[in-house]
Amino acid sequence: MRRRHAVLSTFIAVIALACASFALVGGTEGQPLQGEYKIGLLEPLTGPLAFEGKRHLDGYEVMRDLINGRGGVMGKKLVLVVGDAVDPTAAGSEANRLITREGVKIITGTYSSTLCGAASEAASRQNVIYWESSCVDPRFNKRGLRNVFRTEIDGTGFGWYNIEFIAKHLAPRFNLKPNQIKIAFLAEDSSYGQGVTEAARQRAKQEFGMQEVAVEYYAFASTNDFSPIIAKFKQLNPDVVHHIARSTDAMLFWRQSREQNFMFKALVHAGATGYGSSDFGKALGADGNGPFVLAEPGPGLRLDSFRPEARKLEQDFSEAIKKKTGDEPLASHRLAGSGLWLLKIVLDHAKTDDLEKFRTAVLSLDMPVGSMLNGWGVKFAENGQNANERVQHYMLQWQNGKMNTVWPEEFTTFRAKWIPLGPWDQRK
Amino acid sequence: MTALPQLLVSTVLLGGIYALIAVGLTLIFGIMRVVNFAHGEFLMLGMYLAFWSFTLWGLDPYFLLVVAVPLFFAIGLGIYALVMRGVIHASHNVQIFTTVGLSTALQNVALVFWTGDFRFVRPWESSIVVRILGAAFNLSQVIAFAVALLFTLALFAFMKWTHAGRVMRATAQDGEAATLMGIDTDRVYRLAFAMGIACVGVAGVLVSPLYSVYPTAGLQFVLLAYVVVVLGGLGDMVGALLGALIVAAVEVIGSYVFGSAWKEVIYFVLFIAVLVFRPAGLFGQRGAEALGA
Repeated sequence: MRRRHAVLSTFIAVIALACASFALVGGTEGQPLQGEYKIGLLEPLTGPLAFEGKRHLDGYEVMRDLINGRGGVMGKKLVLVVGDAVDPTAAGSEANRLITREGVKIITGTYSSTLCGAASEAASRQNVIYWESSCVDPRFNKRGLRNVFRTEIDGTGFGWYNIEFIAKHLAPRFNLKPNQIKIAFLAEDSSYGQGVTEAARQRAKQEFGMQEVAVEYYAFASTNDFSPIIAKFKQLNPDVVHHIARSTDAMLFWRQSREQNFMFKALVHAGATGYGSSDFGKALGADGNGPFVLAEPGPGLRLDSFRPEARKLEQDFSEAIKKKTGDEPLASHRLAGSGLWLLKIVLDHAKTDDLEKFRTAVLSLDMPVGSMLNGWGVKFAENGQNANERVQHYMLQWQNGKMNTVWPEEFTTFRAKWIPLGPWDQRK
Repeated sequence: MTALPQLLVSTVLLGGIYALIAVGLTLIFGIMRVVNFAHGEFLMLGMYLAFWSFTLWGLDPYFLLVVAVPLFFAIGLGIYALVMRGVIHASHNVQIFTTVGLSTALQNVALVFWTGDFRFVRPWESSIVVRILGAAFNLSQVIAFAVALLFTLALFAFMKWTHAGRVMRATAQDGEAATLMGIDTDRVYRLAFAMGIACVGVAGVLVSPLYSVYPTAGLQFVLLAYVVVVLGGLGDMVGALLGALIVAAVEVIGSYVFGSAWKEVIYFVLFIAVLVFRPAGLFGQRGAEALGA
């Protein structure tokens, strides 16, 4: 009899423990959702930034559906209330509208470094949480705003990774030491281009002693000809062109470099725009072979390096994006998706959108690399920035119209090609 | 200076593109005294016409010119009747708000119908690179420049030596006096607007192999077109061509010598200096800016 009691007690304890564990990993999956929880979403859906804004929106919508299939947020169905942040003024006014008329307590978005500042300040004035998933302006988290958080790496992290790649992966394959590398910096002149470039310049010079041969900034929206820059660079003969492009400037620079037979050993970019946009491959096809892009992972990513729950999420997200867009997920989709997923984790953990409790929950998260979509980890600093070293980034390369993941090599099945870049007509 | 041939060729070819865009603007600006802020959007529509014709039917943009001229002329007539006619005698503020509204509406129509994606037109000639004396350039640029030169000279001849051109110039100089002399000024404005839109539509078709097509593509060029028009003198076709070459020279040679960040500073200082010291433009007749105002 006593033995039967012991077996029964053990059985009940095991069931109770299993239930508790299930609840801890966010296990409201499958349970009916109680009511709705609205989050404001700001993206540029019209105007010059709409091409990326709409891709981010796709990423958010796909992730919203996945979240609702996995228990929603705080047991409620997640609803996105969308505002069109066509420019910084509209970003601020739409943030106000979402807060005052829609009653949201959290706003996410806005992807662009030209928009996130205005949107987050508007949210801050009304003590509403601002959750940025994509803009990389280094100043974003340096304003002392307690309501502002960013899941993506900041611009200094982009610069750090790019120089890491050039010094440790490219230099040995050029048979050069890092301090023998001649590097030309070229960037569009927004806070994004300048932030990434200045961080890269600093590390290239101070840590590796690379030889900086040129620094050129330009206004991407009004530059219709790169001939003078190319003519200047040709005379300086750099090994590496570090080009932070924003839009069609990437295609124009590459096309004109080809026409003017400007030879360099590698071109390195960072971010989902410019060379990081799928439009670069559509415009140039195999003629666009060669540029490296620091971004979220693409084809070739090895999922066996991810934790099991992240692997499943990655597979489901990729499938859903393919179903919605007919193509592989782009960096824009991934940034939006991973940002929203992390917001769900925080809300489920905090169980409230009260700013101080939410903030405590954010700062308490400590997830190693490989825990999230994109293989990211999580560890926020006091200023609301997810640690650059946890936001694992990857170097992709344009190879015959596809942006394949090529570095770090332990995360991918593809390998970088054309190092150094050969003549323009021999990169097939 | 081994880069000099390249810089000179780039200046001339880029100037040709700017001139092509600016001649339509200077025509409307000079005769109607209307600052058409939607000019860039008609350029964008020309680019989309080239894109869809090339994608759907494989039509080379240069063959499309025979269609683009009458099509955009008709679009110009339509927009004039629906929008511009009502504000032609209104204050400049009303005209500015109207054309800014038209610009935003056209951008968003393109965004709704064709999305914000970048589109590309790649006819065979866009991949041909010509190399002469150390300079390299794309064949599409040469064609755009040649057509710009042709259009500018044709418009110059039209304005100078045809009856319709003389009537248009008379209307530009003094609208009221022209009316008293029996000129149907409404007809003149309609013709000027339609011709201006036809020019920029053609420009859109011609630049499509060189630049990406997207709903706000016109913004990339239109600000420069205003600078060109002011430098060249309102309503002056040859002035527009010369103004375009000056802007292109500042952009190409200025960027090379001082760095890209300085090019806009240089040509906007020039722009302001011309407005202050020679408002009729570098090549316009002194006092022309006030006529017909």
